[in-house]
Amino acid sequence: MDAVNIAELTGNIAVVGYGLAAIGPGIGVGLVVSKTIESIARQPELAGRLQVTMWLGIAFTEALALIGLATPFIFV
Amino acid sequence: MANSSDTLFSKALRLSTFLAVAIALVGSLLGYIFYQLPGVFAALIGAGVSALFGAMTILSIWFGGKLSLNGFYAMVLGGWLFKFLLFAGVLLALQNAEGFAGPVFFFAVVATVLGGLAIDSWLVLKGRVPTVGN
Repeated sequence: MDAVNIAELTGNIAVVGYGLAAIGPGIGVGLVVSKTIESIARQPELAGRLQVTMWLGIAFTEALALIGLATPFIFV
Repeated sequence: MANSSDTLFSKALRLSTFLAVAIALVGSLLGYIFYQLPGVFAALIGAGVSALFGAMTILSIWFGGKLSLNGFYAMVLGGWLFKFLLFAGVLLALQNAEGFAGPVFFFAVVATVLGGLAIDSWLVLKGRVPTVGN
């Protein structure tokens, strides 16, 4: 396989930004959801309360994603 | 004061909408001062899109909570995925738009998202959510 010279790659660098803005919050939401499932499995009677707390966790994580996706408008 | 998750979510939706309208008004004014008409459109789109996505999260958890546990996670995570594909599509369309005031859009998005987070946190801290699901 031929070696790729990274300096010769063309395209919009904002695409890398979109990717990075998706990775972090993706992992974050995954962790929030997995821990909530684990907690509900341990204490099903707390499901209602845990789901509300999960909402707050997801809201904070997705805020980072929304801001990250909108940054090309000021950086490019 | 919210005393159940239904009241909590409906109050969060109402307050987030008021906030988005306020940010759209202030943003339009500032946008007009700095970028004229494109600034007004950017502020309106930024506040509107962020408010819509915040509302989608609240609605998915609110109505997903009435389903089975599998249905709940399908709705919340599926909604999240759908929302981000939609947001990326909107951004792609706006990036190629002629004379779009990007900075106004960005600051409208940031203000609406952070304001929405403040409202959500305040409601969860102040609200009384029953330990047993309603």
